[in-house]
Amino acid sequence: DALLGCHRSYRSRPTHGIGKFKYLLPKEAPKTRKGKVQMKEIDTGTEYQYGDVNIQMTSYDLCLVEHFAQYVHRLCNRLSIRVNESYAMPTKTNEVLFMEERGSKMQLDAVLTTHQRVVQIRSLSSTFAPILLEVIQSSQPEGVHLLMKQHTEADFKSRLKSRPELEELLAEMS
Amino acid sequence: LMLCYFSSCSSWLPQRVPLQGSHWQSSLLQLRTSLPVRAQPKKKKKVDVRKEQAQKDRMKKKLKKLEKAPPELIPIEDFIAPLKYSESNRVRSLPALSPEESERRVLLLKKWCLFKQKQDEAEKKAIKALVESQQEALKELRLECEELYEAAIRRDEGLFPFERDGPSYTPPLPGYDPPEGKCVDITKVYTQ
Repeated sequence: DALLGCHRSYRSRPTHGIGKFKYLLPKEAPKTRKGKVQMKEIDTGTEYQYGDVNIQMTSYDLCLVEHFAQYVHRLCNRLSIRVNESYAMPTKTNEVLFMEERGSKMQLDAVLTTHQRVVQIRSLSSTFAPILLEVIQSSQPEGVHLLMKQHTEADFKSRLKSRPELEELLAEMS
Repeated sequence: LMLCYFSSCSSWLPQRVPLQGSHWQSSLLQLRTSLPVRAQPKKKKKVDVRKEQAQKDRMKKKLKKLEKAPPELIPIEDFIAPLKYSESNRVRSLPALSPEESERRVLLLKKWCLFKQKQDEAEKKAIKALVESQQEALKELRLECEELYEAAIRRDEGLFPFERDGPSYTPPLPGYDPPEGKCVDITKVYTQ
């Protein structure tokens, strides 16, 4: 046990550095602390493949849109389409007011919440894209609005909090 | 002796340039032009430049500090359960099920599982058929004409963005007059 425990390396001897192997392994990417929000590189895709595509599902009904998002995710897994991310966009709340028949006052009708789920896929082949579209359309439930578009930086920025102080300072500086 | 000296000086004043007001004014026309005053303005410039520099440094420091903080994602309200559902102690007491009822439910579940399995299999079959027919068509096209095959393989730029509304239970009512109203967006705005 004592023989195994000692790792004295004589720098002049040829056995110096024996047992080291980490320098042979490929360099790992720096570990992000606590999942720092950093934008992943957006893939534009080649001529025969679409890059990052966002499948956005919007609806007033939360359970329906969540289940549909799960279904789309599982479908992509089954068809071996790489899914980058599957996230939710912030909820939007709308107050619907309507004018009474007799009178000029606006009356509160309802408070509606709009939910949106996004499934981001990568390297979708150009021949398979219409088939996937067809399958998703055929299983689209009522009241769920489907939108498929390329992923852009603006889409990523819309998920982040706005920083008015930083923007003000930047405007003042320039 | 001194008095007479002063009186002679006052009489000796040149009549050509009558001085008006203070002895610093040399011209009749403009009031503002005066002999250059050396002391005050330079001091002002120095202080201004220094103040501006200090302000700029402060702003740069602030900017650095703000930029250091990483951007945060907007919290999603769907995933945060409101407190009122976790605080209360009310528990639902379900009635006991009769054996016939539980039997019926289990059989219904099995039927539903079978139905869903059939649906899923039909979907898989449909996808397979679509892919196969597409591949066959492309093979035939390749044999026919290479150029058209290449053009067909390429990606369609007009495909995205693709938008589609979900189907509705009933078609829209003809001649429906909706009441006047408006939608107000009351989403909470989060700032960092």
